[in-house]
Parts: sequence; structure tokens; C-alpha cells
Amino acid sequence: MYSTELLIQTLISGIMIGVLYALMALGITFIYSIVRMINWAMGEFYMLGSYIQYVVVAYALGRNYWWLAIIVSTAGTFLIGYLLEPILIKPMHARAMERRDDYATVVTIALLLMLRSLAVAIGGPYQYRPETNLPIMWVGPLPMEGARVMASVFALVALALFWLVISKTWIGLALRAAAQNRVAAQTSGVDVFRLDAIAFAIGVALAGLAGALLAPLFLVYPTNGAVTTVKGFEIIVIGGLGSIPGALIGGVLLGVVESLGAAFISSPYQNAYGFALVLLILLVRPYGLFGERGREA
Amino acid sequence: MTNGLTKRYGGLTANDAVAMALAAGEIRGLIGPNGAGKTTFVNVITGIERPDSGHITLDGAAVTGFAPHLIAARGLVRSFQVARVFGNLTVRENLMVPYFASERTRGTAEGVARIGELLRLSTLAALADELAKSLSGGQRMLLQACAGFMIPGVKVHVLDEPFAGINPVVKDTLIELILKENREGATFLIVSHEMDIIRRICPRVTVMIAGKVAAEGPLEEIARREDVVTAYLGRSLQ
Repeated sequence: MYSTELLIQTLISGIMIGVLYALMALGITFIYSIVRMINWAMGEFYMLGSYIQYVVVAYALGRNYWWLAIIVSTAGTFLIGYLLEPILIKPMHARAMERRDDYATVVTIALLLMLRSLAVAIGGPYQYRPETNLPIMWVGPLPMEGARVMASVFALVALALFWLVISKTWIGLALRAAAQNRVAAQTSGVDVFRLDAIAFAIGVALAGLAGALLAPLFLVYPTNGAVTTVKGFEIIVIGGLGSIPGALIGGVLLGVVESLGAAFISSPYQNAYGFALVLLILLVRPYGLFGERGREA
Repeated sequence: MTNGLTKRYGGLTANDAVAMALAAGEIRGLIGPNGAGKTTFVNVITGIERPDSGHITLDGAAVTGFAPHLIAARGLVRSFQVARVFGNLTVRENLMVPYFASERTRGTAEGVARIGELLRLSTLAALADELAKSLSGGQRMLLQACAGFMIPGVKVHVLDEPFAGINPVVKDTLIELILKENREGATFLIVSHEMDIIRRICPRVTVMIAGKVAAEGPLEEIARREDVVTAYLGRSLQ
């Protein structure tokens, strides 16, 4: 009764949603490794990305240019992150502060509440759906919504771009150096405060991209980032905080486990399979698949 | 260069009105018993910590309380007692970071040539594409010093215990590098317990005891002063 075809279909759809989860997790991990903080407002940047996508498609570019709107949404969240970081996050490092983690937690949760309230104030508690011109596509033997296929393709392109920037450019070299040792990077003449702003902006832009890509599927409303953020943090536990491969592999793993569970066990419990995986990892490797033991917060 | 520099940690005054002036082009030794406040002094003048009072000037310009990257940009850089290299970058990338951090020199051909020269002089050339975390302690010290030499426009290098725990061959390589950079105009402040090396390369030394400057002058002269010897050994050598 369980055909190979169903298994392959399930694996494919699991990987496809997994790369989108990985975007969120990568954003969280990347900001953590450079700026040394957890950004609890990641879901709200996802939400910002989805709203920008809707507004740009509905009022400016139209459904045929949905792909251009994706780029606008990503760039928009990047810019918002780049402008907010010096105001909200920089004081954490620039001033001699005793409880940096507490500061970051309070500030980003305040930001979360503010952005949600802003979304309700402007757009109301309604759901919107940005249109696309994408037809049903065939992935192997499997018919899928075009938006879902293209979301995965865009996510893969974004991950490749991210890798290129990190491994091949000067700014990537500086980011890798700062992630390993902030003080040494600073004494080498690297302006780590500027890197913080760039890293924060890249991290939230990844969330904004995920929001824009998933908007046609999961819709646009003030709290739409919550579920994906939870997935992001599940992946962090699975892959290990601060690990980029952990975020990517953890994301795909989570997507596949959820799809397999939904297809072969029972679909209403889809989210529970992810939590079961998290519990399993916590039992076997509490620091995550790629995490380092005893890492400082 | 510094005047009345004071740093307190709670009730402990680690640096008490320290005054020191380095002449351009000299190699100054900074010695003193453990806990004398040498590393605190280095942290304060390089911007890692802010002084509670006092002034720091570099080439006549005030740099008191500046962030480390700004002090580095004005020409004063340091090495750390426990070498801070970027373990997951290659040796070559470690040397690229400081050079490319400066917008003036980013992407110029001189940088590549300079990296090659330092790799050769430091005997690290064969390891250029290895990750820095695979290096030995001494090799890390060399790499850290070379990374400091890569920063464009540096006038003063502050080296905190560069010779601690490294083998004699690496020590000699490091000394050669220091002397070469010095001939090309760089000023050095070297914190060290290795009196042999200090005697060889530092014409003048400053002695810190209990957070204060206790003596300054040629090492031979200072070694005859009873208060200095007492501080080191607990009693005089009679």
C-alpha cells in the first residue's frame, strides 16, 4: 500500500519545504555567530517580507512580476534591518553592558510586539494573498503548485549567493573572522560594528525572503511569521547554534521528517513530528548535530 | 605617550597614574612581576578597556577611550598573550584580514607581495593554506605577529608576552622579524619575562611594580637597583 512513488514524492516535497525552513534557521544562526545575540523578532521580519511582497504585487508590479517583487521584499527587509541595527542592537556592544543577552532579548521581543501591532494597525487582522502567474508544475511524477516549486528554487539560489558572499568576498572574510574572534578582528582594524549591521541585515533579509516566497502559500497576516520562526528554532536545536551546515542540513531534515510523518502516519500531527525529532536530538546530542559543546552564549 | 593613566577594578587599582613615553623607532621592554598591571596597561592603551582617568596620545593626537579598530587605524596594534588567530581561516587568510580591513589598501597588489614576504620570513610559507588551528603555539605567535605587521600604516606594535612558551627556533625567527620591522621604522613595546631577549633587543626598559612605573632606563642599570630586584625576588640578592 505504500508505493515507492509516494515515498519519492514525500521526500521531494519535504526537501522543498526544508530549504525554506533552512533560510530562517540560517538567518538566526548567522546573526548569532556575528552579533552574539538571538533575534526573537525573526518571524516579524518574515512577516515584513510577506507584506512587502503583497503590497508590491497588488499595487505596483502586478502578478507577472512576482519574482521582481521577491527581490524588492528581500532588499526591503535588508534595508530595514540595516537601519534598525545601529539604533537597537549596537548599544549592546558599544556600551559596557553587564547583561547583554538580557538586553538583546528585551529589545528584540519589544520589536516583535511593535512590528505585529504595526501590521494590525496598517493592514488590519485580515489575510492577504499575493498573486503569481505560476501554473501547476510537474516535479518528476508529482504535480505541485508553481509557487511552491519556485519558492524552493529561489531559496536555493539565495543559499548559493550567501555561500558565494561568505567564501569569496572581502566582507565574507571579515565576517568569518569576526564570528571566530570579535576582539582579534577589532584589533586587526576591522570595524565590527559595521559588520554587525551587515550581518543583522543579511540575517533578517533571509527571513524576509522566506516570508515573501511563502506568502502565496501560507498567506499574509500579522502573526504569519510565528510558525516558521518556531521551525527555525527547532532547526537550531537540531543542527547546533552557530553552525551554518547545521542550519542547512537541519532544515532539510526537519522538512523531510514532517513530510514523511504527514504522509505515512497522520497529517494533522505534522508539526509534532518535528518536535519529536528535536526531543530525539536533545537526548542523543544536546548540543546539536554540528554544534560545539559548551559554547558561550 | 601616556599620562597619569589609571584603571581600577572595583577596589583594586591595576594601573596607578602610569606615565610612559615611547620615542619613534625604539624597541621598549615592559617588565615587572606578575600582577604588576602590564597587561592592563596594554589593554588600556589599545582601547580594549577604558581608563578611569588619564590621557593617551599617539603622534600628538588624543586617542583616549577610542575603540580598538580606531586605535589600530591610527597606527597602534597589539598581539595577545594567548595568540588570537582565526582558527578556522587559513594562515594566508589570517594575514589578509588586517590588510583588507583598511579601505585604503583593499585589493592592492602590494598586499599580496607583503603576505608572500611575511610567509617566507616567518617560515610559515609551507603552511599558508592550512587552517590556523592546526598550528603549534609558537607558530600561532608568529602568525599573530605577522598579522600585526600586515596592518597598513602601523607605527607602534605592542606585543604582550610574544615569547612565552615557544621553542628557541621560533623565538629567533620572531626576533628577526621584530628587528626587521624596527629597521623599517616601526616602534615596539614588548611585554616579556624573558630577560635574555629583552637585554638583546631592548635598549631601554620600563619596570612596573604594583601598578606603578618603578624604573626606566637600560636593563643593566635597572638590574642594579635594589627596589626592582626586591620586587622580583622578594628580597635583595646579597
